[in-house]
Amino acid sequence: MNIELRKKIVEVITSAGAGHIPSAFSIVDIVAYLYEHILKFDPKNPDWPERDYFILSKGHGCAALYVVLEKHGFITQEDLDKESKEEGVLGGHPDSTKIPGVEASTGSLGHGIGTAIGVALGLKIQRRNNKVIVLIGDGECNEGTIWECALVGANLKLGNLCCIVDNNGSASQILPVSDLKQKWESFGWEVYEIDGHSEEQMADVFSKIKFDYTQKPKVIIANTVKGKGVSFMEVHGPWHYRAPKPDELEPIYKELDAHTSKNY
Amino acid sequence: MPSLRDSFAQILHNVGREDSNLVVLVGDISHFRLQPFAKDCPGRYYNVGICEPTIVNMAAGLAKVGFHPVVHTISPFIVERSFEQLKLDFCYQKWGGNIVTVGSAFDYANLGCSHHCYGDFAMLKTLPETQLFYPASYIEFDCIFRQVYNNDVLSYFRIPMHGHSHSLSPEQINVGEAIKICEGQDLTMVAVGSQLKTALESLESLAELGITVDLIYIHTIKPFDYQSVNESLRKTHRCLVIEEHSIFGGVFDDVVRYSQEIEHARYASIAIPNTFIREYGTYEQHCRRLGFSVEGIVQKVKNQLINYSEPLKKIFP
Repeated sequence: MNIELRKKIVEVITSAGAGHIPSAFSIVDIVAYLYEHILKFDPKNPDWPERDYFILSKGHGCAALYVVLEKHGFITQEDLDKESKEEGVLGGHPDSTKIPGVEASTGSLGHGIGTAIGVALGLKIQRRNNKVIVLIGDGECNEGTIWECALVGANLKLGNLCCIVDNNGSASQILPVSDLKQKWESFGWEVYEIDGHSEEQMADVFSKIKFDYTQKPKVIIANTVKGKGVSFMEVHGPWHYRAPKPDELEPIYKELDAHTSKNY
Repeated sequence: MPSLRDSFAQILHNVGREDSNLVVLVGDISHFRLQPFAKDCPGRYYNVGICEPTIVNMAAGLAKVGFHPVVHTISPFIVERSFEQLKLDFCYQKWGGNIVTVGSAFDYANLGCSHHCYGDFAMLKTLPETQLFYPASYIEFDCIFRQVYNNDVLSYFRIPMHGHSHSLSPEQINVGEAIKICEGQDLTMVAVGSQLKTALESLESLAELGITVDLIYIHTIKPFDYQSVNESLRKTHRCLVIEEHSIFGGVFDDVVRYSQEIEHARYASIAIPNTFIREYGTYEQHCRRLGFSVEGIVQKVKNQLINYSEPLKKIFP
C-alpha cells in the first residue's frame, strides 16, 4: 500500500478544497504499479509514439493519477499545489488538453473505455505494439456504454487492450453489478481477478497477460477498498466528495503512518 | 441518377483510396453500399454494431492516434443519442472527425419521431470546434468533404434523401461561403439544402407578383456566411428563410442574429414548427403540409413580407 502517495493525495485535495479522496485511495496502488512496472512512457515527450496508453475512465479518481504523474516527472509539485485553482492546469477531473501525460479528458462515466477501444483499434490497424490500459469503476459498470464496449472490444479482438475494473463496491450501494468476472467472461474477454492493493498479485497477473492484437481483450477485476488506508474514509459515506478540515488531518495522517509502508 | 447516399459511398471510396488514414465506422446502415470501400481499403471499414455512443466514442479514439474517422448512421442516433460523446470525446479535446448522417429532418417520413431529426443544427451549433454542412448534391458533398475531412474539428454532414437538382460547379463550392443563385431587388430568399429546389420553383410565381428575388443558397450552416446575406438584405430589406429545420436554432436564427444593424428589415421563415410531426405519409406530403411548397412561399411572402397585413408580432414564425 502506497502511504506517501496517499498522503500526497490528501494534501492535494485539502489544498484544492474539494475532491474524491476515497475513490483515489482505491486506485492509487494500481496506478502507481502501472507507471512503475508496466507502462512505457517519456515524461519529457508525453506524445512519444512508442508510449503505452493509460486512460483513467473513472476520472473522479484523478488525484491518484496526478500524484503518480508528479512522481514520474510529467507535472510538478507546483502543479499539484494549484489543483482546482484558477491558474492551475489540474482540476477535479483529468483534462487531456492541459495535463501532460493525460490521454483523455474524462469525468462523465462510460467514456474513457470507448476512447480506449478506438485507440486500441487504431494501433491494431497500424500494427503497432503499444499497450492500451483503461481503468474503470464498478459503479461505472452501471453505464450502458461499458457493455457496448465490452461487446465491441471482444468482437474486434482487441487483445492489445486491458481493462481494469476498480471493484470497490460503489455499484453495490445502489445498482449492484453481480459477478463481474462471469459477466466479462460471457462478453468474450479474458478475465483475471486480483486484490487491487497487492503488488504481488499485480506482478503475477501482468506476467500472464500477453498484449497481442490478434487475441481476446483482457479484463482484470481488481478488488479494492474505497478509501483504503483510513478507516473512517472507507466504504461509502460523507467522505466520497469532500476535503478534510484542518482538525481532521491529524487522524488521517496518524492512520496512514500506522500502516506498514511499501513505499517505492 | 444515384442517390446522395450512393454518392457519399462513392466519394468515401475515392478519398479512402487516396488517404490511408480514412477509417469508416457505420452503425449497420449503408453496409452494402460501402463494400467497394471495404474491399479496396482493407482494415479501415467497420460495421461496428448498433451502439452509436460507442461508435462515436471509439471514433474519437481513432482520431487520437492519427486517423480521420467517418461515423455514419441515421441522424438522431448520433446527434441526439450520442451528443455527449460528440461534446466530450471530440469537441472538447479538439480531436477531428466526420459525422455523416442520413435521415435528414423528416426524410424518413413514415417512420415517425424516432427517425426524425430537425433540431440537429441547433444542438450541434452550441458545440465549439464544429462545422456543420448540409450538402444537397453530389458535387457539394465531394467538394466540401475533401476540403474538411482531415482538419482538426468535428465536421457534421447532413445528407438528405432529396437533392435540389440544381447544377453547381466545383468553383462555386467553398466551405463557409453562401452561393448566389440569382439576382433580384425585392426579396432576399435564403434557401438551405434540399429546399433550394422549392425556392427555384417559386421564382416564376413571385415574378408574376412583381417580386424579383436575390436567391442565396446555404450549404454551410456553421460557420455561417452572414456577410452574403447582409449584403443582399441591405438592398432588399425583406428576407425569407426556407429550411427543413426547427424554427429554433436554424439558419433563420443566424440571419436575424447577424443582421441586427440593418434597419427596417423584415423577416419570415418557413421551417418546422415547435410541435412533433405526428403524421405519417411521404416526404412530399410533409413538405406540402409544412409549407415547403411554391404555394407556401408565395403565401408567406404576401402575408408577412409584402403587404404587411399581419401585426408585427406574427412576423416571426
